[in-house]
Amino acid sequence: MNIEYSYSFKGVSRELLWKTLQNKEVLQRALPGCQSFEEAGENVFNAELGLNIGPIKGRFTGVVRQVDMQEPEAYRLLLEGKGKPGEIDADAKMSLEESDEGTLLTCCAEVKVTGILASMGQRVMGGVAKVILGQFFKDIQKETKEIAKL
Amino acid sequence: MANVVGTPLKRKEDPRLLTGNGRFSDDIQLPGMLHAAILRSPHAHAHIKKINAEAALKLPQVVAVYTGKDLEGKIGPIPSSWLVPDCNLKEAPQYPLAIDRVRYVGDGVALVIAEDRYAVRDALDLIDVEYEALPAAVRQKEAMQEGAPLVHDDIEHNIALHWKAGEIADEVLESAEVVVRESFYVQRVFPSPIETRAAIGEYNPGSGELTLWCTSQNPHIHRMVLSGVLGISEAKLRVIAPDMGGGFGGKIGVYPDEALIGYAARDLGRPVKWIEQRSEHFTASNAGRDEVIDVELYGQRDGALTAIRVKNTANLGAYLSTMGPGVATIDFGLMITGAYDIPHASCETFGVYTNTTPTDAYRGAGKPEATYQIERIIDLYAREIGMDPVELRRKNFAPKEAFPYTNAQGLIYDSGDYEKPLQKALEIVNYEQLRQEQEEMRKQGKLIGVGISTYVELCGFGPSKVAGAIGFQGGVWENSTVRVHPSGKVTVYSGTSPHGQGHATTFGQIVADKLGIPMDDIELVFSDTRAISMSWGTYGSRSTPVGGAAVAIAADRVVEKAKKIAAHELEAAADDIIFESGIFQVKGVPGQQRTFQEIAKAANMAWNLPEGMEPSLEAQSFFDPENFVYPFGTHIVVVEVDKETGEIQMKRYVCVDDVGRVINPLTAEGQVHGGIAQGVGQALWEGAVYSSEGQLLSGTLMDYTLPKARFFPPIESSFTETPSPVNPLGAKGVGETGTTASIPAVMNAVMDALKPYGVKDIDMPLTPEKVWRVIQEGEGN
Amino acid sequence: MAIENRKVTVTVNGQERSAEVEPRKLLVHYLRDDLGLTGTHIGCDTSQCGACTIMVNGAAVKSCTMLAVQADKSELTTVEGLGTIDHLHPMQQSFWEEHGLQCGYCTPGVMMAMIGLLQENPNPSEEEIREGMEGVICRCTGYQFIVSAVQKAAKIMAEAAAKDGEAVAASQLVGEGTHRG
Repeated sequence: MNIEYSYSFKGVSRELLWKTLQNKEVLQRALPGCQSFEEAGENVFNAELGLNIGPIKGRFTGVVRQVDMQEPEAYRLLLEGKGKPGEIDADAKMSLEESDEGTLLTCCAEVKVTGILASMGQRVMGGVAKVILGQFFKDIQKETKEIAKL
Repeated sequence: MANVVGTPLKRKEDPRLLTGNGRFSDDIQLPGMLHAAILRSPHAHAHIKKINAEAALKLPQVVAVYTGKDLEGKIGPIPSSWLVPDCNLKEAPQYPLAIDRVRYVGDGVALVIAEDRYAVRDALDLIDVEYEALPAAVRQKEAMQEGAPLVHDDIEHNIALHWKAGEIADEVLESAEVVVRESFYVQRVFPSPIETRAAIGEYNPGSGELTLWCTSQNPHIHRMVLSGVLGISEAKLRVIAPDMGGGFGGKIGVYPDEALIGYAARDLGRPVKWIEQRSEHFTASNAGRDEVIDVELYGQRDGALTAIRVKNTANLGAYLSTMGPGVATIDFGLMITGAYDIPHASCETFGVYTNTTPTDAYRGAGKPEATYQIERIIDLYAREIGMDPVELRRKNFAPKEAFPYTNAQGLIYDSGDYEKPLQKALEIVNYEQLRQEQEEMRKQGKLIGVGISTYVELCGFGPSKVAGAIGFQGGVWENSTVRVHPSGKVTVYSGTSPHGQGHATTFGQIVADKLGIPMDDIELVFSDTRAISMSWGTYGSRSTPVGGAAVAIAADRVVEKAKKIAAHELEAAADDIIFESGIFQVKGVPGQQRTFQEIAKAANMAWNLPEGMEPSLEAQSFFDPENFVYPFGTHIVVVEVDKETGEIQMKRYVCVDDVGRVINPLTAEGQVHGGIAQGVGQALWEGAVYSSEGQLLSGTLMDYTLPKARFFPPIESSFTETPSPVNPLGAKGVGETGTTASIPAVMNAVMDALKPYGVKDIDMPLTPEKVWRVIQEGEGN
Repeated sequence: MAIENRKVTVTVNGQERSAEVEPRKLLVHYLRDDLGLTGTHIGCDTSQCGACTIMVNGAAVKSCTMLAVQADKSELTTVEGLGTIDHLHPMQQSFWEEHGLQCGYCTPGVMMAMIGLLQENPNPSEEEIREGMEGVICRCTGYQFIVSAVQKAAKIMAEAAAKDGEAVAASQLVGEGTHRG
């Protein structure tokens, strides 16, 4: 399934947003339910996330990769996660565009899931993904203030 | 005593079921019993790289974990039981657990055994399986294409079978004035009995006997197949089907799961219980239908139909199920002409492997699909030539005088009078007036539709030599023993295995009339291979026409012997004995009589029997019918489609079915209602949804719509009776008629309602969204 | 699991019963596995089918939607507490007479739900009965004879109430007959 989501970071420059999104500590804090986030190589992270997707609750472990880095305008986020409710395989194109307000971030993700996630979760996944992404970007917006201080 | 056959008796089985005294699989508790759960593949297609069960085995209550590799060489593959000949059938072995590759979401990967039903599910969560996902073949037409992923590496183009029946000469096709073509998809649905599947195994290491209670519509087929799979003598394997919460075909199959439970019980020396979860059922239990049917109907402008050419592309899933190969071939392809005297017919069927759950027989099995295509295409033909669909049907009916009637594919329809139920149904709905009303409503902008289905279906398979010729790995005869106790009370053993149909009542009625005794004096025994001689179970609407017939014949034999004893006691010739209402009487000599109970006692005491006669009063019969039976009838549906929302409301549902002689009108009507509910379910609400990766997206009762009470108007049901000549009861099957008839009747009604928009077909189920889109397009929006 | 078992005591079909159970145990499993009341059935795992419907403190409840510990100290009625083979409850009697069941698996839950309906609406129309069955699924009957059975039961129960000269609530008919443990 495809998930598209945009978030307008008001008063945040493209460069600052990029820097924030690339900060490991920030990601660990902002990723919903993130229990661990460890660098396993350049732009490769091992992550453990606790997620609630509609009726499904579960802990997912997996690998996050950032590829096709085009600072400061775009990158691809690849996620392979595995948990009891099923497996997640996501390929998200993140693009950062300058706007009148600040920066518009658009996430276009192609998500494949298996198991209960597919049979029960798929129906609600679009909505849930938007809630999770919304929460994540809101936290990132806050974090930009900290990063700006650095 | 008044005869009870033909009367609407209350069911014998009900007081038990109504008071919580049924005994279903999960109600069985055995000392020391363990609980099993099966870990199933979340991938449609993947290599199994590694299975790590360490964490699971560390849980204190976990007893064992088995993987496919552990069982290799110990339990054989589960064979299909319908090896259709002359179709290049390729059967891929299905092992009880996948060994190195999973082929559908739901494919078994590990069997876990624990002390408690909660602990076993905890353990399931702790088994770590590493998969390497592979591309999946999901839809049958795509799966056949060059370059599609192969479900089984050695089976080219995923083609499991290619079957043909009938040929049509080019001249016939060329001489047709009219050709109507359409492609129909009879979508995948789930039988969905409210009780899921279950198995309980108990092994006695002393005797070497394995007892398996399982949700089986055919315990003897389970015993026959599983004895081979498990390597155990049939004489040491006892299969019992306890009370069952419905089956509808979904419990015909011999599944890997039953083999696993039998194996584990024997291996661990303790009873093991497995209860399927509902969401597990959607991927682990065989589904029904899933056939793409391309039809061409040829004929003349005046409505004379000359030929029908059909191609069926059937999705068989990842493995051949127990009956799977026969559904879209024999069951479907020989019935494509339906109730019509169409002189030429041909059918070509491809059975295709895909990375989905196997498909098997589901209520009607091939006949609903055959009926769907002919009843839908005949409506489109009528539209094409501007003829009323009733008139076109009438014009082409196999005429009453032609019975026994041989259809274009060579089947001999036993008896029929298609005009009779049609006429009755038309009168009930007041057809002429209905059409006028429809016209008026249309003028007011209301979408009213009238749909008709004048179906015929085949059931009660027989004789066995035909079953053999069509590759069925079993016989189709049935057996019954009628045992008369010294008191005159009777136990009847029958090889059919009821699970809601009410055989104890209908078969009891047959025996009550034959022996002239009250229903309360008769007990019925079913579904236990230890108690009952070899038999073939309950499916394909065979129970009454074949099983009931066996009961009737056994009862006749009891009477025959009893007459001889009565004659001996009354010092008369057996031919002079009249038996009526439970009394043996010498013809013309009132007062010279014996009751059935007196003879029962005399036979069992054996103090004074005719010279050379064996003691006791008991008879068995093995009845192999000379032909199938062909019930028929007319269903008429009136619908209203809401222009704004696309919602369909059924205003009336009228059906007149002819199932031969009706043994119990109440239970027969119940069967018709239930069948209709499932057929209408297919037309309007039910449907499996797979993603392109082979994930089942309709895998719970939240996502798959089973019909609810408020979806239906009252069903106006009645019967006509045209007896069958092929069994002594004159009865035909009734269980599948409603499903077979209703799917096209409802679809025809909706298509009729949408006729102003010129739409000819919409894929089922007709969800409001699909209908709304058609209306929007039609309105130019 | 690490969490200690709890003692759950209920009055079921007029008898006090108790068992130690895991806190996560569903009420329906407690009834079936711990108390041996297997007349209540399970048909799904998402609370759609209603086969497990029972009476909890006089209201129809799907017993798969409650934990056993939540039912502690409650009054429960299951199908075993409705009537006996010799003295069927009007709902059971009507299901029998009208052929309101085939396989009988959903039946206990459906009867309980319908008794719940009649408590709220003693004289429902056909439409109201069909609407009232929203929480239950029967795969065998097509529902029509269930509707007839409920209509008949409503009539019998109303007549019985009138005969007593007072408005006997449907709930008071629940639990009549001999109780089975």
